[in-house]
Amino acid sequence: MKYVIETKDLTKRYGKFTAVNSLNMKIPNKTIFGMLGPNGAGKTTTIKMLTCLAQPTEGTAKVYGFDVIKEPNKVRDVLGMVPQHVSLYKDLTVLENSELCADFYGVPEDVKFDRINDLMELVDIKYAQDKKIGQLSGGQKQKASLVASLVHRPEILFLDEPTIGLDPTTKRILWELIQDLNDSGHTIILCSHDMHEVDMLCDNVGIINTGNLVAYDTPQGLKDTLLKEEKDEHDKIVHIALSQTHEDKEISKEDISSFKNQDEFLKFRKMSFLVDNLSENLTNKIKTISYVYDLKIGKQGRIELKIDKFNDEAITEVIKTVVEDGGIISSISTEEPSLEDVFIKVTSEAKDSARA
Amino acid sequence: MVETKKLMWMVKKEWLSLKRHPSRLISILVFPIIMILLFGYGMGGDLSDLPIVVVSQSNGDLTDMTLETIKTNDIYHVVKITNNVNEAKDMVDKGDVKAAIILPSDYDSDTSQQKSVTFYLDSSDQMATQSLVPTTQAIFSQISLEQASAMATQSTNSTIAVEDADTENSLSSSINSFKSSITLHINKIYGDIKYIDFLVPAVLGMTVMMSCMMGMGASIAGERETGELARLFMTPTSVATVIGGKILGKLSVEFLRAMILLSAAILLFGATVNGGILPTIIVLIIGALCFVGFGIMMSARASTQEDYSQMVMPFSMPMMFVSGVFYPVETMPWIFQQIAYICPLTYLNDAMRAIMLKGQTLGDVWFELLVLIGFTIFFFALGVKRFNRDV
Repeated sequence: MKYVIETKDLTKRYGKFTAVNSLNMKIPNKTIFGMLGPNGAGKTTTIKMLTCLAQPTEGTAKVYGFDVIKEPNKVRDVLGMVPQHVSLYKDLTVLENSELCADFYGVPEDVKFDRINDLMELVDIKYAQDKKIGQLSGGQKQKASLVASLVHRPEILFLDEPTIGLDPTTKRILWELIQDLNDSGHTIILCSHDMHEVDMLCDNVGIINTGNLVAYDTPQGLKDTLLKEEKDEHDKIVHIALSQTHEDKEISKEDISSFKNQDEFLKFRKMSFLVDNLSENLTNKIKTISYVYDLKIGKQGRIELKIDKFNDEAITEVIKTVVEDGGIISSISTEEPSLEDVFIKVTSEAKDSARA
Repeated sequence: MVETKKLMWMVKKEWLSLKRHPSRLISILVFPIIMILLFGYGMGGDLSDLPIVVVSQSNGDLTDMTLETIKTNDIYHVVKITNNVNEAKDMVDKGDVKAAIILPSDYDSDTSQQKSVTFYLDSSDQMATQSLVPTTQAIFSQISLEQASAMATQSTNSTIAVEDADTENSLSSSINSFKSSITLHINKIYGDIKYIDFLVPAVLGMTVMMSCMMGMGASIAGERETGELARLFMTPTSVATVIGGKILGKLSVEFLRAMILLSAAILLFGATVNGGILPTIIVLIIGALCFVGFGIMMSARASTQEDYSQMVMPFSMPMMFVSGVFYPVETMPWIFQQIAYICPLTYLNDAMRAIMLKGQTLGDVWFELLVLIGFTIFFFALGVKRFNRDV
């Protein structure tokens, strides 16, 4: 099967309000798909329709080849869901909740406990199997939720903000787990506001806004598109981070201008330099470089430069100026436009178009 | 088979939750007892030991007999016997006592004369008034009757003796004699039923109603709010199974509650269960089912527990007061009576009273049960139809 989820003109209206508007989307099998969108964009409603928790008003959706309206139970059989807010019974233990889910999904008795045990070991929650859900930490709850959602071996697993509120270590453990689950053949649909998470984990990303799919590609594809769109103007950014050697050193505010808005910010490829010493002389010299047309001082002496017509020549010129003035560059880095940049641009464009 | 397992899980979950929340379990055990104590002692008990003062201004057999009768009656607590009328009235005015029984100074002087006993009463206390007035009237009627009877005997003899002398006197005596010959036989067909007996069956019904209606709110609207219901609906499970499981779980808890209520009523107040425990419990369970159905119907669209509570309150509170829990429906204004007849609690109360007080069988209360079952089917049908799987 090429696509595990296919929607055609999928629409959901609540009275006069259209939550999802003629959504057409295909999600390839055995991939991790990132579903992005601002709050109230229609993501949750889309997920509800795909998981048979809400009836579409119009259009169709097929999940693993089954129609969500005509064959809801078959759809439910192939789906697992880890909701944002853990929806397990708080008074039941991890094991009891897993058992309950297994029985509700009709998992055969002879394999039920083996499967639960394997999953608990996989997500490393077996040690807490007899603890009530209400007694667990956020990360443990998500792990317990994963066990309960995977006990019937679903083909597709929906993860709604699975790492929200978790500490970085637990987050990384869950990321690895999500990757492992995908490697073992599960299609994962990940809803998240954590762009780094989506960028790192997802094969494809769809951005939903005001009930419409406004962008769909691989994360890199989306970023490249953004870069390409901006290439004609070809304004890019270089971040040069310089640390001041003299604590009392201040750069005149007239010398510093800040980015006016996000759109302007998006025009630039970001780059940063870390220089161990900084002098007023050096700052002035950097400003005189023809490629540099904007300079902004950051916290603790860090400065950001906006460099027009960014290219190797520009980098060389900046480095040369710094080094000639006795500056010591300790690091240089460049940044691609991030998925967050793409998200902001795409959703703001959609917003503007909706307003228009 | 699979669905049975799911149903059993719902019941198991209900009990595990209770077991792991001692406070909820205690509430289940204690709440019914508090209810029955509250209504039993607070509303159902007869008034007694009401403080009074007696003004006795003469001496004689009649005074002695009257005082003795008053003192031995449980409703009174004779704080003082005085011969000073003003002092007695002061005591009432100050609120030291509820009433003063003022026997006239000629109370013992001549038994043939009309005597006027004054009952000086603090009528601001309506409850005390309602009990004291009929009791006091009954006491003096009895004394009067006894006096009349004694006079009639005396008068008959004297009539013979003075027949030609005083015809009018003879006629009066004859009437008195005739009066005392009428005896009213009160045949209480269900025995001597106290207010508490009248109250207990309805309190049982009302408690079941309240807990079922509120419980279903927590069970469905609450789980809808916290997402647990969504998880169940994400599994290949029908709405009927989920609702059925909820009902079974709730009913099993309500069964325990009904047993505790009934035991408390019997042990604490000697409540009569003339029709037997089993029919009483069957009626209670049918009632519980009906109110669970009502809860499902109302929670079908409620998205939060708070919403549910607000939706149910306008139904539960009036139902409590118009369904004959505290006063017979027939004594209420016409409009309330009409409302009462569309409230399932009215039929539950009637059936409970018929079984517990009158000793009737389930067959005798077929109409009430039929109405309750009808309501149940209606509530469930509407509940399942309205039930929004969109969570």
